[in-house]
Amino acid sequence: MGTEPVETLSFDAALAELGEVVARLEAGGMPLEESIALYERGVALHARCAHLLDDAELRVQRLVEEAGGALRAIDLRPDDLDDEAGTSA
Amino acid sequence: MTDERPWERWLRREPATPGAGPPGPEPPPWGRPGSPGTPVSGGTVPGSPGAGRSGPGSRIWTVGDVTRAVRDVLRGEDAFRDLWVEGEVGQVTVSAAGHCYFALRDGRSQLACVFFRAQRATSPFEARTGLRVVAHGRLDVYDAGGTYQLYVDSLQPAGFGDLALQFEALKARLLAEGLFDAARRRPLPRAPRLIGVATSPSGAVLHDILHVLRRRWPLTRVVLAPCQVQGDAAPATIVAALARLARWQDPLDGTVPDVLILARGGGSPQDLWAFNDERVVRAVAASPIPVVTGVGHETDVTLVDFAADVRAPTPSAAAELVVPSRQEAAAGLAALRGRLATSAERTLGAGRSALAVERRALARVHPATVLAGERQRTAELLDRAGRAVERRLAAERDRLGRAADRLPLVTEGRLAGARAELAAAAAGLAALSPYATLERGYAIVRTADGRVLVDAAATAAGERLDVRLARGALDATVTNVRDSG
Repeated sequence: MGTEPVETLSFDAALAELGEVVARLEAGGMPLEESIALYERGVALHARCAHLLDDAELRVQRLVEEAGGALRAIDLRPDDLDDEAGTSA
Repeated sequence: MTDERPWERWLRREPATPGAGPPGPEPPPWGRPGSPGTPVSGGTVPGSPGAGRSGPGSRIWTVGDVTRAVRDVLRGEDAFRDLWVEGEVGQVTVSAAGHCYFALRDGRSQLACVFFRAQRATSPFEARTGLRVVAHGRLDVYDAGGTYQLYVDSLQPAGFGDLALQFEALKARLLAEGLFDAARRRPLPRAPRLIGVATSPSGAVLHDILHVLRRRWPLTRVVLAPCQVQGDAAPATIVAALARLARWQDPLDGTVPDVLILARGGGSPQDLWAFNDERVVRAVAASPIPVVTGVGHETDVTLVDFAADVRAPTPSAAAELVVPSRQEAAAGLAALRGRLATSAERTLGAGRSALAVERRALARVHPATVLAGERQRTAELLDRAGRAVERRLAAERDRLGRAADRLPLVTEGRLAGARAELAAAAAGLAALSPYATLERGYAIVRTADGRVLVDAAATAAGERLDVRLARGALDATVTNVRDSG
């Protein structure tokens, strides 16, 4: 069972672990206490995935190359893009 | 004949005699003036109706035979099915049905062309008298007119001719080099963490891509590398944008793009030309990150499409392709949640029934009768222990009282400590072993059925009793019962 706090897991990582948790619970054969702990971890993982699915916001950045050739990323807000696209579309 | 076309040479398979024929279309090899009815020079015309029936010159052909023979020859030639022809547009006629008829001229020759309505409708370019154009189509015979003509399926302004040839030549070269091999194509990540997008920063394309990603999979991130998508400078900027994406690493969390989208909206073939540029095609083929192309509309094919790991028909389709669907993921998640609940229900249910089994086992090991037998003895011992505690408590109070006389300031803390000590002592007494009691000279008397005997009236003369001592036991018989009073 994973020990990382679910709040820091990516969707993929949380989903993969949730799959493992369910498989282990379904296989059974572990002490009751361990089952309960595993179940609680599963519930937390599910909540994490559901939260990410429901509340995720696409983050968009734009690369800028500086004089020395170094790259820098600037955040683009949805409004910026809509404006840009709206004026030239 | 410097402006001679390959098919013209083909039509004059026999050694050309400069100035032999009149100006205008070259006569076909089987119909040279002066040899009517001789269908074949050397008998090489496939499918000639005359060839199988009788010898050369031995029959008179119908007009239809000739026309069909010519048509069969034209259709049998691969080069005529896929022909690019450049020339100047002559007289243009558009029929009521919308078909366009015109001639292509180049000084000494002309070629009849038909541009049907269906093809015209999708063409961005119209035939106009005097324009130099490149027409693409197939050559065929128009039976009723006894003419051969070019059935045009696309028309471009001249100059495109060079591009079209370049396209074919470059395509053939890169194909031979293996740049378009299917084995080179890499699978895309199931759910990319960071999507690199190379396209114009302004315009509908980026907007469309982001719109799709927001709707379908907003759990990802996008990094845009702006580039020009049209014009002479475009190829260099596209190559640079791809290179920037390939070396980009987020300084905060180290994320690198795991898939790239190279996109451009629809336009004329010339507009899309940057995506046929060799530098761009090679950059896509050499990209260390899988590339999905979405260039133009569904019908547009550019060379980068062949070099890409995945070709999407449009920019929006490219965005759809690179990410999973949120709805599907939610359904999958709900399924897992269901399995989690079911397995938990089962596990906890099993736990509950296991507990019940143990409880029943315990009941057998410690039957109530045994417990009842012990209870009485325990009560006695506790009673005695209680009295001992009371005595010790009283003695302690006395001692404390005397101490308090000498030391008026007795803290509550000390009292509390003393109380705890007393409680411990009481517990110790409560835990006194019954055998220790026997050691002090007591005995436990039980009747034959195991009851502890505490009342003389509960027995009678002649009853056999079990007397347990500190060490050993006696079998005794009651000889007489005396009143407890």
